[in-house]
Amino acid sequence: MNGRWLLKRIGMSLLVVWTTITLTFALIRLMPGSPISRMRAELYQQYGATMSQEQIDRQVRLYLNVQPDQPLWQQYFNYMFDTFQGDLGHSYIQGVEVTVILADVLPWTVFLLSIAIMFQYTIGILLGASMAYAEGTRFDFASTSVSTFLVSVPFYVFAFLLIFFFVFQWNLFPQGGKYATGLEAGSLAFYRSVLYHATLPIVSLIVTGFGGIALSMRANSIQTLGSDYIRGARLRGLSNFRISYRYVARNAILPLYTGLLIQIGFLFGGAVILEQIFSYRGIGYVLLDATLFRDYPLMMGTFLVITIAVVIGVFVADLTYGKLDPRIQTGDNS
Amino acid sequence: MSQQVVAQENILELRDVTVSFGMNRGVSKVLDDVSIDIHRGEILGVVGESGSGKSMLASAILDAVVDPGTVDGEISYRTDSGETVDILNLEEEELRQLRWEEIAMVFQGAMSFFNPTMKIRGHFLETLKAHDQDVEDGMEHARELLTDLHLEPDRIFDTFPHELSGGMKQRALIALSLILEPNVLVMDEPTAALDLLMQRSILTLLDDLQEKYDLTIVFITHDLPLVKDLCDRIAVMYAFDVMEVFPAGDLSNSTHPYTRSLLNAVPNLTTSLDELRSIEGSAPDPVDIPSGCSYHPRCPLSTPECEQEDPALEEIGPDQEVACWHHEKVDEELPLALETSDGVSAEVYEGNQSDEPVVSMDDVEVHFESDDGGFLSLFDDPEVVRAVDGVDLEIYENDVVAIVGESGCGKTTFGKTAVGLQEPTGGSVQYRGQDIWETKAGRGNGDRSYAEIRRALQIIHQDPGSSLNPNRKISATLQVPMKSWQSDLDVEDRKARLLAMLESAGMSPPEDYADRYPHQLSGGEKQRVALIRALLMNPDLILADEAVSALDVSMRVDMMDLMLTLQDLFDTSYLFISHNLTNARYLAGRAGGRIAVMYLGEIIEIGPAEEIVQNPQHPYTQALHWSTTDLDSTDETESPISDIDVPDPIDPPSGCRFHPRCPEAREVCASEKPSLESETDHCTACFREYPEDHPYWDSEPLDQETVGVTVEGESS
Amino acid sequence: MSDASVDSEDIPLEVVSDVDQTWQDTVRNLLNAYVLVPGRIMITDYRALIGFGIVFGYLFVGTIGVWLMEPTTMWDGERLMQSFETWDHPLGTDPQGRDLLTLMVYGTRPILLMMFSGGLFIVVVGTIVGTVAGFSRGRLDQLLSTITDVALTIPGLPLVIVLAVTLNPQSPILIGVLLAINGWGGLARNLRSQVLSIREEDYVEAANAMNVPTRHILLKDVLPNMMPYILYNFMSSMRGVLFASVGLYYLGVLPYSQENWGVLLDQAYTGGALTTWSMFHWILWPIVAVVTLSIGLILLSQSTDKLFNPRVRARHE
Repeated sequence: MNGRWLLKRIGMSLLVVWTTITLTFALIRLMPGSPISRMRAELYQQYGATMSQEQIDRQVRLYLNVQPDQPLWQQYFNYMFDTFQGDLGHSYIQGVEVTVILADVLPWTVFLLSIAIMFQYTIGILLGASMAYAEGTRFDFASTSVSTFLVSVPFYVFAFLLIFFFVFQWNLFPQGGKYATGLEAGSLAFYRSVLYHATLPIVSLIVTGFGGIALSMRANSIQTLGSDYIRGARLRGLSNFRISYRYVARNAILPLYTGLLIQIGFLFGGAVILEQIFSYRGIGYVLLDATLFRDYPLMMGTFLVITIAVVIGVFVADLTYGKLDPRIQTGDNS
Repeated sequence: MSQQVVAQENILELRDVTVSFGMNRGVSKVLDDVSIDIHRGEILGVVGESGSGKSMLASAILDAVVDPGTVDGEISYRTDSGETVDILNLEEEELRQLRWEEIAMVFQGAMSFFNPTMKIRGHFLETLKAHDQDVEDGMEHARELLTDLHLEPDRIFDTFPHELSGGMKQRALIALSLILEPNVLVMDEPTAALDLLMQRSILTLLDDLQEKYDLTIVFITHDLPLVKDLCDRIAVMYAFDVMEVFPAGDLSNSTHPYTRSLLNAVPNLTTSLDELRSIEGSAPDPVDIPSGCSYHPRCPLSTPECEQEDPALEEIGPDQEVACWHHEKVDEELPLALETSDGVSAEVYEGNQSDEPVVSMDDVEVHFESDDGGFLSLFDDPEVVRAVDGVDLEIYENDVVAIVGESGCGKTTFGKTAVGLQEPTGGSVQYRGQDIWETKAGRGNGDRSYAEIRRALQIIHQDPGSSLNPNRKISATLQVPMKSWQSDLDVEDRKARLLAMLESAGMSPPEDYADRYPHQLSGGEKQRVALIRALLMNPDLILADEAVSALDVSMRVDMMDLMLTLQDLFDTSYLFISHNLTNARYLAGRAGGRIAVMYLGEIIEIGPAEEIVQNPQHPYTQALHWSTTDLDSTDETESPISDIDVPDPIDPPSGCRFHPRCPEAREVCASEKPSLESETDHCTACFREYPEDHPYWDSEPLDQETVGVTVEGESS
Repeated sequence: MSDASVDSEDIPLEVVSDVDQTWQDTVRNLLNAYVLVPGRIMITDYRALIGFGIVFGYLFVGTIGVWLMEPTTMWDGERLMQSFETWDHPLGTDPQGRDLLTLMVYGTRPILLMMFSGGLFIVVVGTIVGTVAGFSRGRLDQLLSTITDVALTIPGLPLVIVLAVTLNPQSPILIGVLLAINGWGGLARNLRSQVLSIREEDYVEAANAMNVPTRHILLKDVLPNMMPYILYNFMSSMRGVLFASVGLYYLGVLPYSQENWGVLLDQAYTGGALTTWSMFHWILWPIVAVVTLSIGLILLSQSTDKLFNPRVRARHE
């Protein structure tokens, strides 16, 4: 792996995180009717009789990581410093440290999304490649139509349908939650319950997600199949398996990566809606909760952590891309 | 058909082979009843222009015509043990084994033959495994092949395809095609994308390989002179059929009018310049082949008989067949032009250049820093490519200067600098005594505006496909120059003018052409439009960057003639860039211009066109001359360079930049750099031009072997 | 000019015309280029026709449809009438007796406004950033590319939620822009690399040599090559905005002044429409509206390539 290239990717990731921190700071501090003044007003209303102005300021500082009496640049540096140390402030409603809340819910979201993304791509790539091999047949036409239709369905709409049929009509799956209560964590029954509860959310992501991947995989594969090196590989007598695996698939998958980078961000964003529908207490659920209750520290912290999660996901995807495409490492990718 | 020469066993026999594609316009026959024998151990050249069906012939031999094409007829292959194999009726598995083990193929464009995500080693390994060969022995053989082809096996194995230069990739591909020790090698334009010098070097290596491994080679090309020395026999294809087969070596053996006209249309280094004639008309459409002899509409000898009946190949001598009713009359009616010229005494054209230069370049340098952007690029040293390194040149009115050199020598960058499209990093470029870039920056010392200079310097590009905006009609494209500097013209005037221009460039009816999109024009027509577009600026100098290289051989003279005609009309100068000495000779020679030879960013020899061609002084120019085969020479000369590949321009050799490849190099060449001597108008940057007291003459020769010698030594 | 000495009759450069083009000709040419030819291309492709029909239908409903219908109020009909029961309420009613069809029709307009403004925002910002980055070398390119990468990585929906709560926009047009706030990254990045390759095309260099102003080069030589992709992106961005807006209305984080499909979906979901067949039509129609429009956009976007392809155009002139 090219060190320079790696350095560049890390620099880029840090830049994104820094931008997000700056953005949340600006939103907290600079917006008209900002969280600070709103919080102050609320505190004043509640405890105005008992608390001094200083105490209120301290309270604000504790929750928002911002010290309203300092000059702006100093506030900014303190905020940045605290955030990079992992101090995201306290939840205004629950009074708990934001990091504690998020550490509890983040793994659940990552669990849902990584399984969904894995299945989306596996199904999409296999289906797309078979469509390309069968180009022009009835199978190709049918799969293309179905894929196009599925791309047109937002995942939450499909989630509604799943709930309607599988939960309320047929009673096959639970409507919400992460696992059944009363199970010992770590036991086999617990894990089964976790999978059982995660099935519907994951299925709704997979079904509405693989169509687009299949369509682009189909187009890429058709293009690859027409290339000279495939013709050459056939003439050299390579087996069909080797050609489809080492030649077609390997080269047709590469352009999908740009889509994957966007897909990771899209799924983390979509988690807000998905987890609400299935009452699945992951990071998206927490974000929505914080938003509806105007719990600014929690809201900003969650947003930041989601961004970091996406940055890490993109970074990992980038690393594997560098492994797959030799042209990347020599900086030949423009 | 009986074979008269008994000693020569046929390894392949093609009988009535037809390849057809069903199209909605009708059935298109891209190979039409071809019958030909290929002798064991020979090199057969198959020559034809683009669209003559020659590539289809290659695919048909391996039964590898792409869907939905179908092959009919009979192709028999005789194995070493004497069995006959009917290639077109093999089972899939038998066919799989036949390919590459018995008959291998090298495609046109090795660039895209390798899997971009797999190292070169993988390609060799998987091929050996797929044919159940012993991997260790096989890889040993691969190493030997790569070494034979002047490549370092260990380095090559560990690279990805995109890391190799075109010439290296092509040689690696030849090694890959020979890995299973096939008997027959079919090569489809294997060198078309490469520089002439590289082409010739590969051909030399191929000749050695053929002897060493006892190969039969079918070499398919559009370039007849190129393969003349390599091949034993040459088959000429026209309109999807073989027109004639004749023994190579002496081109006057050819007896078909098409071959003769083709040879007379190709610029070369010896034929007197006004003997060159382009062929009228164009090759037929595969759906609509003329009845009778398919060449009759373009043939000067055609009679009513030719229109009615298609002549079959008839045997007229040993190894010689021709399909023409009038082949006896060919020598009389269509003599080979090269025979009429008597060697060196080609006439010299007088140019009418002015005394004052239009563009003068003084010690011009263009250095590129490779910088891939990104905010972390500060951390490493940028690599500097010295594309142009200290060049002086003056171009006069009505002048033609041809710059000749291999790809990557900086000739295109130099040309763009000359017309002010590339800013030099050092030195100055002046238009009529006024510095172009100073003027652009607003610091000009003259009274011309930048817009005026810009109008005077124009460009025509190499690739007809990219020189016109595909989304605009010809008439819109051609209005741009007039809008740019003649704002007083309205739409109708602009249209009338561009129609007149199209007409004068031989594109009629002009209204029809003006209303077309670029994709509805042929390559030659697109280049004409590009030429018209440049001329509509009424320029003083046009940079013609390989402007004819992408055209079919028979079209090139046409295009250059048009350039010369229009030069008379418009008083324009050309800076003509070419990798091909023959085209440079034709254009510069007819206008009494000069040829300059560039190597790694420097001009190493410059002089009057005929002088450079007939009397090259620099060893590199001599190598270029060698790479351009004379049509009438019969002696095979050894390669005059000692290293096939061009050094990396990021780190050019010290001293004379050519010394690592120069057969005449001596120790002093590695440390000191010769300058362009300038007592006459023929200047050469080589110590061998220096007087006898120069240290070169006492210096020790560098220990180098030439290309031909190395291979010989190893094969014995 | 320097060549005044040459007889002007020989030189086609001096030719002038004696015909005048009338403004009717100009109009006819424009009509031909922008209406007739695209129309003729579209007719040959049934998918483009369906897509065009669907999108045009929604446009009709969102503009004219609102004028043709009285707004519905509570207890217009009985509560929870099923779809296709009576002609008065073809799609049925909600639990408050409001006519679903009317609600759907009135909900179309704000959604279309959002989609259009959001899509336009993405395309304009993405095209400008991508084109400028690709066409300018050096620092500006680096800066814009870095901003693009950042915008591409920050997850869109959470950002929109945070911004929506903090900024609280009201008009559908502003909400559309907000929803599209960082959706332009992909387009900008892709266009940048397209411009990088187009600017190396010989005809761009030739235009430079002819001293054609940079904005003309961008407009006439660079942009037309990217139009199919930009138009495709416009359609898919509108689809993205549609999905996001309906999703966020469902979550209840977007402010609104008029009811739209997203709000209806939210009301139906919270009203328990998913629990029983008898209320299913309540949530079904917003879903059908979203999915159908989305299909229409996809079909239409698949044909943009043809509209701009000179090879296809040439056959239909």
